Amino acid sequence: MKTMMRWALAPLCVVTLVACGDGAGGGAGNGAGKAGGPTAVTPSSQTLAQTLKGDRTFGTLERVLDNAALGEVLAGKGPYTVFAPSDAAFTASAGDLGDEAMKAQGAAMLRAHIVPGSLTRADIRAAIDQSSSGTAEMRTMANSLLTFSKDGDTLIVTGDNGARGRLTGEETLASNGVVQPVDALLVKAAG
Amino acid sequence: MYKLVPITSALVLALAAPTAVLADPGNGKGGDKQERGQRGGNAERGNDNGNGNGRGNGNGNDRRADRPDVQIVEGVRGDRNDDRRTDRRDDRREVRREVERQVFQTRDGRPVVYFRHDDDRGLIVGCPPGLAKKNNGCLPPGQARQIARAAGVDRYDWMWRTRDDANRYEYRDGYLYRMNQQGSLLGYLPVLGGALSPGSAWPTRYRYQPAPDYYSSYFGLNQNQDYRYADGALYGVNPQTQMISQVAALLTGQNLGVGQRLPSGYDVYNVPYGYRDQYADNATSMYRYNDGYLYQADPKTQLITTVIQLLT
Repeated sequence: MKTMMRWALAPLCVVTLVACGDGAGGGAGNGAGKAGGPTAVTPSSQTLAQTLKGDRTFGTLERVLDNAALGEVLAGKGPYTVFAPSDAAFTASAGDLGDEAMKAQGAAMLRAHIVPGSLTRADIRAAIDQSSSGTAEMRTMANSLLTFSKDGDTLIVTGDNGARGRLTGEETLASNGVVQPVDALLVKAAG
Repeated sequence: MYKLVPITSALVLALAAPTAVLADPGNGKGGDKQERGQRGGNAERGNDNGNGNGRGNGNGNDRRADRPDVQIVEGVRGDRNDDRRTDRRDDRREVRREVERQVFQTRDGRPVVYFRHDDDRGLIVGCPPGLAKKNNGCLPPGQARQIARAAGVDRYDWMWRTRDDANRYEYRDGYLYRMNQQGSLLGYLPVLGGALSPGSAWPTRYRYQPAPDYYSSYFGLNQNQDYRYADGALYGVNPQTQMISQVAALLTGQNLGVGQRLPSGYDVYNVPYGYRDQYADNATSMYRYNDGYLYQADPKTQLITTVIQLLT
């Protein structure tokens, strides 16, 4: 019944042009699962590229992005959601993906961390909650799947070959997508 | 309470259609690129292709002009109750074909264009540069793997391998080589960050699809460049020099169309911020974004009912 009430409110949101999405700090959810109070969606004026460049947590990721010449992509229209590995996530087994000789490997890694559209954590939680399996999947730009699940209050994301990370810190709603910090690479080195 | 649900849907659709769902912008570039790059759904050419619409579903192309840009399966669904039909399964297939042909175009008759999703990821068939003319034409089984190990080029195999992919990948000098488990070469392709990098010339043997006009508008592409789609990315190419100037966008390249089920990997609501008011999931519709389009689907069946272009 509660859900039905929310659907009933949807046209009101449209008519009054009040944003039904989340705030900048998350909390969007899809139409069926969102919180009742209308909160304006106010993404940052900065692009994904600018957001990543301005956050020291993503120094290595930034270097890999530049090396793979994907900076323009994240400065463009999008939208994309970037699951952004922190510096600590780049382990030695991944090699130096910022090295000139590793551009292709770096690009392949990045594609496995980018999905189409804008995914807030509330959206991800709503999808998990609505799923009978307790998981939700999104396809990446590498044509692989990221699987989301919950461990208590923590959102877990698992890559195609079993690499597993947690969504950490705060999401950032950029002008052309979302940055979701993650504490591990979502592709796992063999061996 | 239950009466409110259909009203909700109707309102959302009615308000949404004239605003965000736009016809081709008509930027004067002509449709030549679209014609070449689109999936096989060109109604202009597809009327008599043998699929036929003589089952009485009544959705002939003569009605196209009256249809909005967003065309909904509902117009076809009513025919499923036709008592004259004896094989419902066949009819359902027929409906899907009909819907595909009709939906993939805008009001002015120009097609909605998708890039084909290459299951083989655009592999080039034949012997790769540097490996040609060896013994049996290419490397014999086993030999490639030995060479790869010696060179360490398969160290990052895991970067490209996806779920349920039993093949092996080896990267060397801008190209990715796909091998089976026995080490036989199955094909190769230039890759993003490798041979497909800004500053490199477009590989002459590598096929691509020209970017459709819609993508020029949606992504705001520079009119002085050629834009080519290959293996999940949109590349800007200098038409004179054939040099790659930029990577303009990443795309899944998935071939989603009306009548199809949403494939796996679209569980999470991902609609761009600016469209969330208009396209919120509800009891009768769910919306997902992919590669510049919004897809409306039935939440129960997951069948895509509408394809929506996003232009502001």
